[in-house]
Amino acid sequence: MIGAGVAGLTAALRLARAGLNVTLLTKGVGGLQLSQGTVDVLGYSPTDPATRVANPLAAVAELAVADPKHPYAVIGVDAVRTGLAFLHEELGEQLLVGDPETNQLFPTAVGAIRPTCLAQPSMLAGICMDGARFAIVGLRRLKDFHAELIAGNLARTPLPDGGHVSARHLTIDVPARPREVDSSGLTYARAFDDPEFRARFAAELRPELRPEETVGLPAVLGLKDPTAWSHLADLLDHPVFEIPLPPPSVPGMRLNNALMAAARAAGVRVINGSFVDTPVHSGGRLVSVNVETAGAPRTITGDVFVLATGGFESGALTLDSYGEVTERVLGLPLAGLDAAPLLHGDYWGGEQPLFRVGVAVDPSMRVTSPDGSAVPDNLWAAGGILAGAVRWTEKSGEGIAVGSAVKAADAIVEELA
Amino acid sequence: MNTPQSSPPPRRSPEQLSGDPAVSDSLDFAGHEFARASLDHCVKCTICETVCPVSAVTPLFSGPKFVGPQAERFRNGESVDHSLDYCSSCGACTLACPQGVQIAELNSQARAVMKADHMPVRDRLISQTTLMGTMMTPVAPLANAVLANKPIRTVVEKVFGVHRDAPMPPAQTQTIQGWLKKRGPRKTPATRGPIVFFHGCAGGYFEVETSKRSIEVLEHLGYEVLVPKQGCCGLAQQSNGLFDQATDAVLKLCDDLRAAGELTIVSSSGSCTGMLKHEAHEIMGVDDERLKDVATRIRDMMEFLLEVADAGELPELSPIEMTVPYHAPCQLKSQGMGMPALDVLRLIPGLTVVESGATCCGIAGTYGLKKEKYEIAQAVGKPLFEMVRDTNPDLALCDTETCRWQIRKGSGVPTEHPVFLIHQALGLS
Ligand SMILES: Cc1cc2nc3c(=O)[nH]c(=O)nc-3n(C[C@H](O)[C@H](O)[C@H](O)COP(=O)(O)OP(=O)(O)OC[C@H]3O[C@@H](n4cnc5c(N)ncnc54)[C@H](O)[C@@H]3O)c2cc1C
Ligand code: SF4
Ligand code: SF4
Ligand code: SF4
Repeated sequence: MIGAGVAGLTAALRLARAGLNVTLLTKGVGGLQLSQGTVDVLGYSPTDPATRVANPLAAVAELAVADPKHPYAVIGVDAVRTGLAFLHEELGEQLLVGDPETNQLFPTAVGAIRPTCLAQPSMLAGICMDGARFAIVGLRRLKDFHAELIAGNLARTPLPDGGHVSARHLTIDVPARPREVDSSGLTYARAFDDPEFRARFAAELRPELRPEETVGLPAVLGLKDPTAWSHLADLLDHPVFEIPLPPPSVPGMRLNNALMAAARAAGVRVINGSFVDTPVHSGGRLVSVNVETAGAPRTITGDVFVLATGGFESGALTLDSYGEVTERVLGLPLAGLDAAPLLHGDYWGGEQPLFRVGVAVDPSMRVTSPDGSAVPDNLWAAGGILAGAVRWTEKSGEGIAVGSAVKAADAIVEELA
Repeated sequence: MNTPQSSPPPRRSPEQLSGDPAVSDSLDFAGHEFARASLDHCVKCTICETVCPVSAVTPLFSGPKFVGPQAERFRNGESVDHSLDYCSSCGACTLACPQGVQIAELNSQARAVMKADHMPVRDRLISQTTLMGTMMTPVAPLANAVLANKPIRTVVEKVFGVHRDAPMPPAQTQTIQGWLKKRGPRKTPATRGPIVFFHGCAGGYFEVETSKRSIEVLEHLGYEVLVPKQGCCGLAQQSNGLFDQATDAVLKLCDDLRAAGELTIVSSSGSCTGMLKHEAHEIMGVDDERLKDVATRIRDMMEFLLEVADAGELPELSPIEMTVPYHAPCQLKSQGMGMPALDVLRLIPGLTVVESGATCCGIAGTYGLKKEKYEIAQAVGKPLFEMVRDTNPDLALCDTETCRWQIRKGSGVPTEHPVFLIHQALGLS
């Protein structure tokens, strides 16, 4: 397994659960830790980007028909459903709740509203519904959360059904640790893991709250203790919700840590911190890759390989100054290069076709060749490396990742049986 | 390792090495161009911030992203940010960074520059590991008594800045070379040819039992184990910014190890192995064929055993019914080879190994000995100490010496090298 984002971790775990020997190779921490800590399946229709999706699974099924080049067309709605169920089961109700058939609207750190279908329980009280009354609470020493901006934007944004939330802002000052004026969200999260800190915090905040208010806080309510947020709500005697921050994203870390721990516990051998390259082929198969371990590279052999290396953002794909796009681990042929131009100069303009470039796969997630050149036949791919989606505008990244991950894993289990 | 976007680091040429002129000249180079070039790959994702064990416990250190790639932009000689000295060089940030930024290396280099003209005597002394071992072994009971003596330790703290409660190695009555000389010929025939064993100073003078058991395990596997006379790798000097002395030491050691022939080198001293594999090159910019040769051939003991196991050549292991905590030291993890000890130990039937999940034990070589860092090092280690005590109050496992001293002292739990259980499972103890 090459890559430790949500795709690599999910696929590694599923393969290990099926009893296979899995080695996970990664050059660093994967993208899950940088995410909002939610699971986005489809937020905006790629064919009609102005429209928010209400039922993600139904929309995935429609998209699979409407756009045969989209990864969902090969993944299919059933695999997405299976993938979400698997992730849900692995992470448990303390970390992930929701319904894949329903997108809910959650506030963001700039006070926009964002659709997603699975979220953390600590976020649920923040679902934007007509008549909700939010008190958005900023922390004086946490600079990435602007309560006034969030409350102002939320209050003036009409909801899809025409309704409104009301929101006001306040700021309190409870230091995460003494003598520090600029604390990161992670430092606060570590403080919130301590019940004594929660009590001090609640004692400061409680007198400021008005009856019937739901309290919106930055997503820093505990890293290790999954009950930190509900304990705080009890102490405040108000419902509480978390709004995800820019990285370090505490909700993202919770998911990443949980999946990595589960993978290790399931026996996955993890080699972190080393770049992977230098594929060796024989008889149409990929025999080994190198990991750039300190001192000298080590050769890692395998019966099958899964490429879950992400996209441009993780360095899996690069574009050089001649306009050449390269897949950096195995040098695979890429799909989506026929669009011209790949990049247009209008920064604020429409979508850049480049972002749809990626690896092509068949419906079992086995890598195929878009241009007739040879690809190894024991190679699968999952996640952001797949061609055909602009994951961050569609809000489809996690759905594509888990759907393709379980589909690839299940196909591999069958192949090796 | 982790050098995705760039060409290989520039290596120090022999001319540059021979009779290094002023300290500052060699620091100018210091493998620095490569590390510095990597800072432009930083995308400010904060991943490194989330793994730093020091900034997690103290506001005195602003964390790897700030002190590493960000502050480096403003450095031209002396550092703009003196909180840099709080970086323990554990390497967790470099390992976690998905963009290949050499964060810990930048920090170590900048610290060497910062301390170049006012190196504390303490930092020179505690990095003399061989000297310490040679002096202590013949007088072990006395040395142990002195190290346990509160008033003496208080004076040492006042004069030298070594914290009175800092963990100290137990002096032994016999060195590994002494043991090798005294023991009789091996009992099983050598069926697999020769390999070289590198014990490091700690494994030679203090953690002698780990070296003995490693040699016995290797012999049991059929190897003829050669233990050439060997000096120190210079790691402690390197981490204290004494790059010239460290460079001399590491190259001398390469000569020692190469004297035995073109063989695989195995070491149960995880941090010394890291110095030879990459730190001397990546941090100090040592560019020498001898080092490159040794770096290519050396294996950590558990890494080597995993290779043997993967080749299907590890003899059957007898069951050990036990749950044991295992901590992978930061200097082992930073070698980018995963956690081979965990994978080998899992092969012992009945044994449940619980990985600590801790980034670092706090000691980071000599960092946690220093009086101004002692509290931080203890705070870093605290969750690990608790985890170890909760998992098994009678035994913990960890691959490097100073980390074992820190865990023993901090948790009160006897802590040994993972090879102890392999030794036992092979029926050797
Ligand atoms: C700014 C931004 C915002 C986004 N917002 C959203 C959003 O709101 N909603 C949404 O659904 N999606 C969003 N996305 C997309 C989403 O983040 C990705 O789709 C998702 O993270 C992909 O997961 P992955 O597991 O495939 O890859 P990644 O999480 O990128 O993981 C790739 C892994 O591969 C490893 N790797 C890569 N190359 C190598 C190599 N050569 N050797 C070793 N290891 C290697 C990396 O270290 C990493 O572990 C966003 C993306 C960006 C960039
Ligand atoms: S992990 Fe790497 S890329 Fe991310 S902020 Fe740190 S140095 Fe920069
Ligand atoms: S080397 Fe260790 S202590 Fe230093 S910045 Fe990196 S993670 Fe922090
Ligand atoms: S790391 Fe090993 S060889 Fe190096 S100074 Fe320490 S004990 Fe000596």
